[in-house]
Amino acid sequence: MTTVHRVASLALAATLLVTGVARAQDPRLLHRLDSTTLAAVGALLDSARTAELPVEPLVQRALEGAAKHAEPDRIVAAVRRLAGELGVARDALGRESSPAELDAGASALRAAVRPEDLTLLRQRRTQSLTVALAALTDLVVGGVPPDSAAAAVLALAARARDDQIADFRRAVERDIALGATPAAAAAVRVDATLHEVTNAAANPNTPRKP
Amino acid sequence: MRAGDQAAYAVLVARYRARLGRYAVHMLGDRDDAEEALQDAFVRAYRSISRCHDDARFGAWLFGILVNRCRTAGRRTARRQRMFVRDDVSLARATAAEAPESPDWDVTVRRALDRLAPALREAFLLKHVEELEYDEMAKLTGAKVSALKMRVMRAREQLRALLSEVERV
Amino acid sequence: MFEHDDDALNRMIDRLREPVEMDPRLDARVMARVASRGFRARAALVWEWLRRPRAVAISPIAGLGLAAAAALLVWALPAHSPQTVTPPAADVTPVQFVVVAPGAESVSLVGDFNDWDARLTPMRADRDGRLWTVTIPLPAGRHRYAFLVNGARWLADPSAPRAPDDFGTPSSVVTVGG
Repeated sequence: MTTVHRVASLALAATLLVTGVARAQDPRLLHRLDSTTLAAVGALLDSARTAELPVEPLVQRALEGAAKHAEPDRIVAAVRRLAGELGVARDALGRESSPAELDAGASALRAAVRPEDLTLLRQRRTQSLTVALAALTDLVVGGVPPDSAAAAVLALAARARDDQIADFRRAVERDIALGATPAAAAAVRVDATLHEVTNAAANPNTPRKP
Repeated sequence: MRAGDQAAYAVLVARYRARLGRYAVHMLGDRDDAEEALQDAFVRAYRSISRCHDDARFGAWLFGILVNRCRTAGRRTARRQRMFVRDDVSLARATAAEAPESPDWDVTVRRALDRLAPALREAFLLKHVEELEYDEMAKLTGAKVSALKMRVMRAREQLRALLSEVERV
Repeated sequence: MFEHDDDALNRMIDRLREPVEMDPRLDARVMARVASRGFRARAALVWEWLRRPRAVAISPIAGLGLAAAAALLVWALPAHSPQTVTPPAADVTPVQFVVVAPGAESVSLVGDFNDWDARLTPMRADRDGRLWTVTIPLPAGRHRYAFLVNGARWLADPSAPRAPDDFGTPSSVVTVGG
């Protein structure tokens, strides 16, 4: 870092201290964002902290924007959008949700999955929802209509393991790449996976796929 | 490394099996024949892979091998009358008047395809089921675009006529 | 019921477009023939061909070839696919990333696991400079990432799901189960 840069950083930090915005400032952001963007993002981070939402995904979104040399407005908009999605995800998934679950939930909402379906998923599945939510999001991104994708993952939620849900998602993507209509692919693979899940439950000594 | 090469090719086979299988089954009308043609195509492709000149078009090149295999297989079974039998739909149940969504619709579809001359069936499947562009079809089949367009048009006319025959009964 | 001719034809086409399940044992039969004596000499040629970089594809079939070639490179290498990885009891799981980038001078893996800092996770090229790889430990969760080529060009991972685009450049997603 050059002397000028160092002095400028110190001056910036001093200014922010004075204005009180720097109180919760993540040092990673200090050197990657200009002062205006830093202030705007900082305010969003503070709100998120107050609302007890995970802050790390927001920091990462800002860092991504900085790395990609995005316009300041775009960075702020992206962080604001994600903060909103995390809030809705937390309302849908419950306050006990882990940061990873909330992040995955936010991605699902971004993909137009309904909050009600997130809540249903929480009701049906006792283990962590991170993989199930990620699979749901990836299905929709791959072309399965949100309702069909949600129905499929909900059908698997109660009994399938994380790796089975992940395999299901990969199988659907392969079928779509090979010409199947997305909704049909999801429906067919759900049946196959449920069959497998039922068989595995009936024959617990069957070895898992590597 | 050799085990890895074959494992890598096995992944490709698994990936293409369904998509290519669809064409072979509809073209040949018989699942056993289709599997044989598919196997042949994969094995030939492996053997001559260094001859695939345009790296980005492996799928298309493999498909071209399959189209050829299906032509050879079709000639072999030209004399045999085969019906496409799905699950437990028996030939005895195959009747003329069928609603589109019933299991007998599959038999209607199969019969209609069987009634097309192989060249028309091939062109129809490539255009409407595999959704290829005419210039891709020309590369795969060796036929001219104008000839292919004519074949697709005639296939559609014949299929329309066959399908409305069915409904009039 | 009498129907318009094209309706029946279109229904026929829809039916024909549905995927057809082929017997998965076909794969084993193909590989048995491929593995037989006459083909061993070809094996190295096949591997070399499969590793060659691909140009951007346009047609659906060519697109399949490109995606399949990229994807199988990940599967063929002795580590987990970066798509979804279910971890052992530990908190982190090693995940291998692979990208085909011939002629690149540098390729970095950049994502929300390394603060989007291109200096932190440089990838290593193979002998021919075409295949770039790196393996990193990742915690449970969904991670956004991309490859940065020559410090300037962003590449999404062709074998992974796409991340929604916030900034006008492509990104991908990997999920580590937890």
